[in-house]
Amino acid sequence: MKRLSVCLVVLGGLAHGLAAQGDVRARLVGRVSPEVVQLVSTLADSARRLGLPDAPLVDKALEGAAKGAAPDRIAAAVQTVFGQLNVAATAIRSTGTSAGAQEIEAGAFALGAGLTSDDVAAIARTADGTHPTMAVLQVGGALAAMGVPRGQTVGLVQSAVRSGLPLGDLTNLPAQVQAAAAGGVPPAAAAAGLERAAEARAAPNPHANSKAKTNPHRP
Amino acid sequence: MKREWNPLVKQVLDGERGIESLPPDLRLEAEDARRLLLDAIERQAVSLSDSVDARVMARVRRRAATPWSRAWHWLSAPTVPRWVVMVPIAAAAVLLMLMRTSTPPATVEQRTALTGQRDSVYVRFELYAPRASRVTVAGTFNRWDPTATPLVRLGSDGMWTVTLALPSGQHQYGFIVDGRNWVTDPAAPAVDDGFGRRNSVVSVNPINGRIL
Amino acid sequence: MDHSGAPSDGSVVRAVLAGDVEQFAVLVRRYRDRYARYAAHMLGSIDAAEDAVQDAMVRAYTHLGQCREPDNFAGWFFLILRNRCFAERRRTRWESGLEGVDEVPAPEQTESELERSEVVKALQGALLRLTAEQREVFVLKHVEGLSYEEIAARLSTSVAALKMRMHRAYDRLRELLEAP
Repeated sequence: MKRLSVCLVVLGGLAHGLAAQGDVRARLVGRVSPEVVQLVSTLADSARRLGLPDAPLVDKALEGAAKGAAPDRIAAAVQTVFGQLNVAATAIRSTGTSAGAQEIEAGAFALGAGLTSDDVAAIARTADGTHPTMAVLQVGGALAAMGVPRGQTVGLVQSAVRSGLPLGDLTNLPAQVQAAAAGGVPPAAAAAGLERAAEARAAPNPHANSKAKTNPHRP
Repeated sequence: MKREWNPLVKQVLDGERGIESLPPDLRLEAEDARRLLLDAIERQAVSLSDSVDARVMARVRRRAATPWSRAWHWLSAPTVPRWVVMVPIAAAAVLLMLMRTSTPPATVEQRTALTGQRDSVYVRFELYAPRASRVTVAGTFNRWDPTATPLVRLGSDGMWTVTLALPSGQHQYGFIVDGRNWVTDPAAPAVDDGFGRRNSVVSVNPINGRIL
Repeated sequence: MDHSGAPSDGSVVRAVLAGDVEQFAVLVRRYRDRYARYAAHMLGSIDAAEDAVQDAMVRAYTHLGQCREPDNFAGWFFLILRNRCFAERRRTRWESGLEGVDEVPAPEQTESELERSEVVKALQGALLRLTAEQREVFVLKHVEGLSYEEIAARLSTSVAALKMRMHRAYDRLRELLEAP
């Protein structure tokens, strides 16, 4: 029974792979040039082999087509996305965490927003039972996209998780920074304020301060 | 008294013979018939109002947001013989659907326990464009189709808006004004798009709704 | 895929069935006006046509899994709209011809324009007094310009049956329009 289900899963995976190839072409043919279709199909095959999601590659090609970009520009942009997915996946996996499509996409987005692969790894490392990898990476990416400097982005996420901030509050951090920015407080300053608040909350924990001092990202 | 057109006249009306092919005594009748019926036809194309799209999609989204309709779509989708693909996925999907329809998604803890699902969150997009005649939004959530998602003009003060149900996660998008000009959302952060422009970003999760 | 670069109906349908609800908007945009004239003539007003098209679109979404030929979404949608038109109980009298609510009324019309407008109105009113089947064959052939063969294919019926229906419609219209 187990062997049968393993067979089914393997067959399912193969058929799914073939179906996925067809899907990539089906989504692109007629919207981008044949060269781009071929490039994206090839990259998508590589992506699947590396355990990376292929949808962001197709999305980027469709975006380029919608914006009237030249085929070589689209090709370059898709290759950039592939690179980001690959780097993000490597960074997440280096922490011993498994990286599913959503985690990798969140990590890739964070890279696109200006974080480095070390930053992505550092944020991924903060994930724990109540703060899933995808959520912490999304928060990190969102903060970076808002202009919070790299070091502070990582520091804020780390402090927030360590202080035991509930998941709902963690994922609300970008909105708080944005609200502060709307009130005239620069994102960096807003983030710094939130980090201090998180550390104060964590202060009773005898280990928190020593960890904070050894945080290489603290300014 | 019931008057019926001559069968030959009806053939003229059908376009299957010309008037000139009729005997002379029928030609007058045929001309009367043409004038009465065919010449009086209003063939002008009919255009429905612009808000049809938005109204249809609003109803469609309401339907899509219920777990039962997702189950219905999945179950009623044509079953191409790709059962080999469907079996491992189906088992997971059925399990997920059973979980969704049987557990009331009341508390945050319960919802976060069902991680990996793409719950939808309603997000309102707005753009102030008083001189625009058409505004649409395109992004990762609609495959970057510049025509698929129009905004609706609110009143006369130049505000355009649309509310979409987005799956949780990060989405990039831009507004397209008058079918040509790509515009970022002034109320949202932006990232480089790889094409020399920037994309606006919206981030949603089922716990907080929109977080960016 | 067609050569205009737009995704085929089939690929859009499959995307919607796979969960991408927003893609349905592509089909709405594509077909919202295609059968609007048919619906307007069947129901007697643009407003009624708008309601019918909206309802039919939502119904098409709800039952999208039953669309046997996703690449012929248009034909399938037409049948849903047709059912909706036939079910329409409301009979709106022709008031000012085929005008939508937002349209500005025409400025002073010439003598011949007024005359034409009367004739058009008379025919449209008479059409509404035919049976729905008779009205439909008349609209499809003479307003939409389809051949009997095309109509027969769309409605899954025979050319002979359609001609019989149409010829009865011609006679009935004569009765309604000619002064007694």
